[in-house]
Amino acid sequence: MSNGLKLVLFLAEILTLGSAVLVALHPNVLYASVALLFAFLGVAVMFVYAGADFIAGAQVIVYVGGVTILILFAIMLTQWLYKLNLREIPGKILLPILVVGVAVVPALYKVIRELTAFIEKAPPTDLEKFSSLPKTSVIGQALLTNYVLPFEAITILLLGALVGAVWLARPTK
Amino acid sequence: METGFVAAFWFLTISALVVPLMMGAGLLLRPRSKSNIGDKGIAYECGEQPVGSAWVKFNIRFYVVAIVFIVFDVEMAAIFPPATIFRDAVLGQAPGLSAGLVFWEIFLFVGLLVAGLIYCWVRGDLEWVKGVTGASPKK
Amino acid sequence: MNSANFANSLQGWVGIGPIWVWALVSALAVIFLLALPFGGFATYVERKIAADMQDRVGPNRVGPYGILQFIADAVKMLGKEDFIPLGCDKFLYNLAPVLVVMGACAAFAALPLSKLLMGADLNIGIFFLLSSTTLIAPGILLGSWSTANKWSLLGGLRAAAQIVSYEIPVALSILPVILISGTLQIGRMVELQGWSWAAEGANSGHFWNAFHNPFTFVAMILLFIGGLAETNRIPFDLPESESELVSGFNTEFSGMRFGLYALAEFADVFVMCAMVVALYLGGWQLPFINLENLWVTLPSGLIAIIQLSMFLGKTFFLVFVVMWLRWTLPRLRVDQLMGLCWKGLVPLALINIVGTAAWMWIFKGQSIAQLVYKMAAR
Repeated sequence: MSNGLKLVLFLAEILTLGSAVLVALHPNVLYASVALLFAFLGVAVMFVYAGADFIAGAQVIVYVGGVTILILFAIMLTQWLYKLNLREIPGKILLPILVVGVAVVPALYKVIRELTAFIEKAPPTDLEKFSSLPKTSVIGQALLTNYVLPFEAITILLLGALVGAVWLARPTK
Repeated sequence: METGFVAAFWFLTISALVVPLMMGAGLLLRPRSKSNIGDKGIAYECGEQPVGSAWVKFNIRFYVVAIVFIVFDVEMAAIFPPATIFRDAVLGQAPGLSAGLVFWEIFLFVGLLVAGLIYCWVRGDLEWVKGVTGASPKK
Repeated sequence: MNSANFANSLQGWVGIGPIWVWALVSALAVIFLLALPFGGFATYVERKIAADMQDRVGPNRVGPYGILQFIADAVKMLGKEDFIPLGCDKFLYNLAPVLVVMGACAAFAALPLSKLLMGADLNIGIFFLLSSTTLIAPGILLGSWSTANKWSLLGGLRAAAQIVSYEIPVALSILPVILISGTLQIGRMVELQGWSWAAEGANSGHFWNAFHNPFTFVAMILLFIGGLAETNRIPFDLPESESELVSGFNTEFSGMRFGLYALAEFADVFVMCAMVVALYLGGWQLPFINLENLWVTLPSGLIAIIQLSMFLGKTFFLVFVVMWLRWTLPRLRVDQLMGLCWKGLVPLALINIVGTAAWMWIFKGQSIAQLVYKMAAR
C-alpha cells in the first residue's frame, strides 16, 4: 500500500474514532446522531480497504440513508430529547453503565486477540489482486450454495420485521 | 487498490469542498455589511410574527415509513448479490448452479416480500389518511 | 477486469504522471466542467422552457437569448449578504448544504460519459451511485430542522420521507438490469447494451435494456418516476410546495446557500436521468451501430466525442422531459404520493423482477432484438 493510501486510511480511522467518541460523549443527542452519520461513512471507507466494497456500499445505503433518517425522525418526534442535556442524567444510571462497560472489556479483548491471530496466520498479501475481483457475485454464489438456509432465514426474518413494524404503528382501538 | 476507488475518493473530497469554496468566494466578492440583523433574521411566516415553537409535532407515520424503508433496504442488499450470478447461471457459466435454482430463490424472495406487502395492504396499513377517529379510510 | 476510468485514459494519453494526480484531475474536470455548470445552466433552460410553454419570452437580457442569465444570477448570489436567521442551529445550518451538494456531485463519479471517460468505473458502480445520493436526505432533513421555521421543518420531513419511500422502487427497478448484465459495474452494463449483428454468447450485445423484454420497458418508466420523486420535482414537489409551505425546506436559506440548494437539485436531476440512460437507454451506445465493429477504425478521440455526445444528448432529452412534466402535471397530494409508491410502483417493480428473471430463464438471456434477428436469419 502506498503512503497516500495509508494516509487516507488513517484519516478514515480518525474520522470514525473521533465521531464515535462524539456520539458517546456529546450532550446533545441530535449532534450525537450527526456524528454517528460520519462514523458510518468512516466505517464504509474501512470496508473498502478491507476489499469488501459491496459491504461498503450496503453500509452507506442502509445505515446513512436508512438508520440515520430513522434516528433523526425519532429525535425530532420526541421534542424533549432535542432539548435534553445528557450531562444532567442522574448518577444512579452511571453505575449500570460502568458495570456493563467493564463487563464488555474481556469479550472485546478476546475478539481482538483472535482476529489478530487470524490475520497473522493468513496475511492478506494479495489484497491488490483480490480487491479488483467482482466480489458481489462471489457473495451471491456463497448465498446460493453454502448459505442457502441463512439466506432464506433472513427473508423470513425481514418479513416478520415488516409486519411487526406496521403492527406497532397501527392505532390502538 | 483499484484506481476507481482513488478516483471515487477524490470525487467525494472535491464535492465536499464545493460549498466551502463557493461560500469563500462569496465572502471575497460581497460588500461587508455591518448592519444589525434585526427583523431580517426572524423566521419567514408570510410576514407575520412567528407563532409558537418552530419545532412542531408531526405525524408518527413518517417514522413508520423510515422503519419499512430499512426493512426493504436490507432485503435489497441481500438480493443484489444473488441477482449478479443469475446471468452466468442462465448461460451455464456458473459452476454448480443451475438457472432454475437461482430463479426459484429469487422468486421465493420476491414472493415473501409480496406476501408482506399484501398483508399490509389488506389490513389498511398502506393508507396514509386513516381518519382521526379510526373511521374507515376515505375512498 | 478491464475498468475504464477517466484517470487511466488520461494517463494513457499523456503518458506520464502518477495515477492519483490524474484521478484528481478527472474529479475536478467532471465536477467543475459538467456538474456545476449544468446545475447553473439548467436554471436558465428551465426558465426558458417554462416561458415557451406559457407563451412568454423568458430571460432575454443577458447575452444572446439571455443565455448568460445563469452567470449573472451566480454573481448576484455571490454578492448577497450571508446571514444566519435568528434561532438557527448554526452548525447544522452550515453543514446541510455541504451534505446535499456532496451527495449530488459525488454521484457524477459513477456516470459513464463515454467508454473511456468515466470518473470511477467501480465494480460496485450502481451501488456507489445509490449510496452517494443517500447523503441528500439527511442533509435536507438536518437543514430544515436547523432553521427555526415550521414550514421548513414540515418540508424537510416530507422530503426525507418521500426520498426514502421512492428509493425502494428505484432500487427494485435497477434489479432487472443486474439480472440481465450479471454485474454492478456500470461500464460493463452499458457495454452489454451494444448492437452486434449475429453475435452470440456471453459477450454479445443485446441492444438497449429498455427493449430487452416487455418487463424492462416498464422498469425503465418506474425508474424514471422514482427518480423524479427522489429529486423532489413536480409532480412530486410536496417538500417545497410554495402554496402551502412558502418554499419548503430551503425557505430560510438565502443568497448563495439557496443557490447551492437549487444547483444540487439540478445536479441530482441530471444524475437520475443519466442513471436511466445508462441502465436502460444504452448509455453512450449509438442505436443500431457498433462503433468498434465498423469497417474503418476511428481514432479513439473521435469515438470518445461521439459517445460523449450520445450520452449527453439522451440525458438532456430526459432532463427536458422532467422540465416538460413540470408544466403538464399538477402536484400530488401526500396520500396519493404514498399510495402511488406502495400500491403502484413497488408491486409493479416486484413483478418486473420476476418477469425479467423468467424471460432470462426461458430465452437463455436473449433480448427481443436477438430473437428477432435469429428468426430472420433462419
